[in-house]
Amino acid sequence: MAVIEKDPPVQLEVSSLSINFGGIHALNEVSLAVKKGEIYSIIGPNGAGKTTLFNCISGIYHPQEGSIQFEGSEIQLQKPHKIAQMGIARAFQNIELFRGMTVLDNLMAAKGHSMKYGLLRAAVYIGRCLREEIRCRDEVEEIIEFLDLQNLRKSPVASLSYGLQKRVELGRALAMNPKLLLVDEPVSGMNVEETEDMARYMLDVNEEMNITIILVEHEMGVVMDLSDRVTVLNFGTKIAEGSPREIAQDPQVINAYLGETQKLSV
Amino acid sequence: MEKPNTTYPKLLVEKARMYQNRVAMREKYKGIWQEISWNTYLEKVKNFSLGLAELGVQAGDHVSILGENCPEWVFADIAAQSLRGVSVGIYPTNSEEQVKYILDHSRSRFVVVGDQEQTDKVLAVKDSLPMLRNIIVIDMKGLRHYEDPMISSFSAVEERGRTADQENPDRFYKFVDQTEPQDEAFIIYTSGTTGHPKGCVIPHQNHIYNIHAINDIFQFTDNDSVVSYLPLCHILERGVSISIPLVIGYTVNFAESIDTVQQNIQEISPTFFAAVPRILEKLYSTIQIKIEDTTRFKRFMYHFWKPVGERVAQYRMAKEKIPLLWTILYWLGYLWSFRSLREKLGLLNCKMLMSGGAPIAPEILTFYHSLGVYAIEMWALTESCGGGTGPHHEVKAGAVGEPIRSVKLRLADDGEILIHSDSVFAGYYRDPEATREILRDGWLHTGDIGEIDEDGQLHIVDRKKDIIITSGGKNISPSEIENKMKCSPYIKEAIIIGDRMKYLTALIQIEYDNVGNWAQSNKIAYTTYKSLAQNSEVYELVKHEIEMVNETLARVETVKKFKILEKELDQDDEELTATQKVKRKVIAKRFQKEIEEMYA
Repeated sequence: MAVIEKDPPVQLEVSSLSINFGGIHALNEVSLAVKKGEIYSIIGPNGAGKTTLFNCISGIYHPQEGSIQFEGSEIQLQKPHKIAQMGIARAFQNIELFRGMTVLDNLMAAKGHSMKYGLLRAAVYIGRCLREEIRCRDEVEEIIEFLDLQNLRKSPVASLSYGLQKRVELGRALAMNPKLLLVDEPVSGMNVEETEDMARYMLDVNEEMNITIILVEHEMGVVMDLSDRVTVLNFGTKIAEGSPREIAQDPQVINAYLGETQKLSV
Repeated sequence: MEKPNTTYPKLLVEKARMYQNRVAMREKYKGIWQEISWNTYLEKVKNFSLGLAELGVQAGDHVSILGENCPEWVFADIAAQSLRGVSVGIYPTNSEEQVKYILDHSRSRFVVVGDQEQTDKVLAVKDSLPMLRNIIVIDMKGLRHYEDPMISSFSAVEERGRTADQENPDRFYKFVDQTEPQDEAFIIYTSGTTGHPKGCVIPHQNHIYNIHAINDIFQFTDNDSVVSYLPLCHILERGVSISIPLVIGYTVNFAESIDTVQQNIQEISPTFFAAVPRILEKLYSTIQIKIEDTTRFKRFMYHFWKPVGERVAQYRMAKEKIPLLWTILYWLGYLWSFRSLREKLGLLNCKMLMSGGAPIAPEILTFYHSLGVYAIEMWALTESCGGGTGPHHEVKAGAVGEPIRSVKLRLADDGEILIHSDSVFAGYYRDPEATREILRDGWLHTGDIGEIDEDGQLHIVDRKKDIIITSGGKNISPSEIENKMKCSPYIKEAIIIGDRMKYLTALIQIEYDNVGNWAQSNKIAYTTYKSLAQNSEVYELVKHEIEMVNETLARVETVKKFKILEKELDQDDEELTATQKVKRKVIAKRFQKEIEEMYA
């Protein structure tokens, strides 16, 4: 669980968000408020609208109704790259890296949006261009150290194991200097050890880098251990919100998510 | 030879005065080798030392250090010694229980830990350690919200020391002046293949004395460089990374992380490389496997030039002049094959490679010689303060050389090697009984059986307690046979069994990577180590390897039956020591069923 100061300000506010795809209500009047510094999880069965919500926040979908405010400004109609520049980064469920490029190059590429030099300077590689490159490499090295990727700098992403690729994916999102990180199923398909490592890294990211995290995850152990608050979606509708303990005991959640016979463990 | 009248803190002050801004250490950080000068080294030790004094460390206090190799490990070590404290190294791979045992037994009041993982171990057991007062953490990552009042950061302690130093700049030097050559410098807990680890108390003087003598063999200068990668709490790495640099003044490089050691060794290409047999065997078998996977031309070149390398190795080991023809051939071989192999191994600039810690198969050392790396085997104990034997002139396969100048050595009637107590340790900490047992009549009873040949070179037969006496009454040294087996790229560990039995048998642990590789290229499906170990074709493969070894052995020494272990030996399961030596007793007990089957 994240350690946050008392009563932090709301960083991301989603109000009455609705989106339809040809008559299917992917999201229906969803509202939530994520506070600065917390780890906020969104859970729900397949097709509940979790990834759609992420796509709305990162600007890939534009919802038909409702608003999304990030640090006080409306981002609902912004383009994805603008939203990224504002400080919302995303680590994808299906690793979105350049597979043929090395780990280092992938992380440097993620820095592209913050490097400020033109084509001409880049061609001669002096002055501001060089300074910018060095600054970015320095920041990337911090991430490499943070995620213990030192031995993989020069390895092509395609040659890494799935668990490591996921870690690089997280690194790529971090390289964008986010204030808010959207993480989509970070531990899916991982073994126990990889899951533990990943959970540890998420906590460290939250604590050491002071980054708010919104997490979509099916692995209940991870959700229950890491989250400060949890929201449950079912068929595009929010059915519950609260601390992991409250959620685990909510009969509606148990019914929707796991069927009546099973219980969530805390 | 005179005993040196100095201590490690005094040596540091002296070296810093002499070398000033010359590089003492390098540490790779953010992908760049960052340099630490002798001045910074002294400064860091001074601040941390005064910081420790502020926390209440006094003469005679024990400060444990638990973490991976890094410059801060060294600073903490010398800082504790500067206050006439005693530093105690703990293996970072040790479990909570083992950490607790050492912290408790060594009566440590302070512990310096590397990172969160190690901190968690100490926190888990601190309630049963009433003596412990402070936990000082080097890397605070992930610890921001630990609220235990015992925890403080390394840099915070340094900062306290810095303030204290500004108030009284002479204080540190006064502390250093008070250190005496006979003082206890550090305690080394031997990994112990039997029972609990025992704490060997090492005084400054005897250790420095032995280092001076060992340098007859190493011939170090201050232009040498090493990479620190073995655990610093082991006497071998402690010598190479902390003590010898303080005497000689060469540069120590710290790897970026455990996973990058091989890469970092390649980058630095150290002039001296100390290793335990396990690592040299691993490198050797990796090369054997890689050669089979490479292009036909490279493979041809390797096999073509190999005999040339081996022939020249014979001359080199005997320190004879190499005939001109062979010199020319060798240089051609160097251009085509040896050079690139050395580069891959990170041995391009390596002038000397040393194997220690356990016996090694002569074949392995000969291989390194054939690449043009001067490879030697040395023998010493923690209890003898790292002083023992090493080849001063000729390198003989299977021999560990002559005693160094500081060591007086003789064989007991039963062949046990004895070392005169003049240059050895001060005893086991809090274990007078074990001390009396090993230090008798002024001689250290090493527990190793040896022979001295006509040239005065020592040959190690085996550990006294490991020697196998078959039911036929033959004495057999198991480690010699085991080492021959471990030369095979497919065998990682071999344990010979047969004490009071009719014939010898072996438990085999296969080298997972290499056998897996072999299985893939032979279209054998497998999922885990266990499924490989149970495979009948793998059994045939190992059988073939063992038959090859058997051909080189006398009849009584041949291994008649063997079993492949279905699990990998693990330190966590108490089957290996922290230095990866097998614990025979544990293994004999755990695999009793398998052993009985072989004698059924």
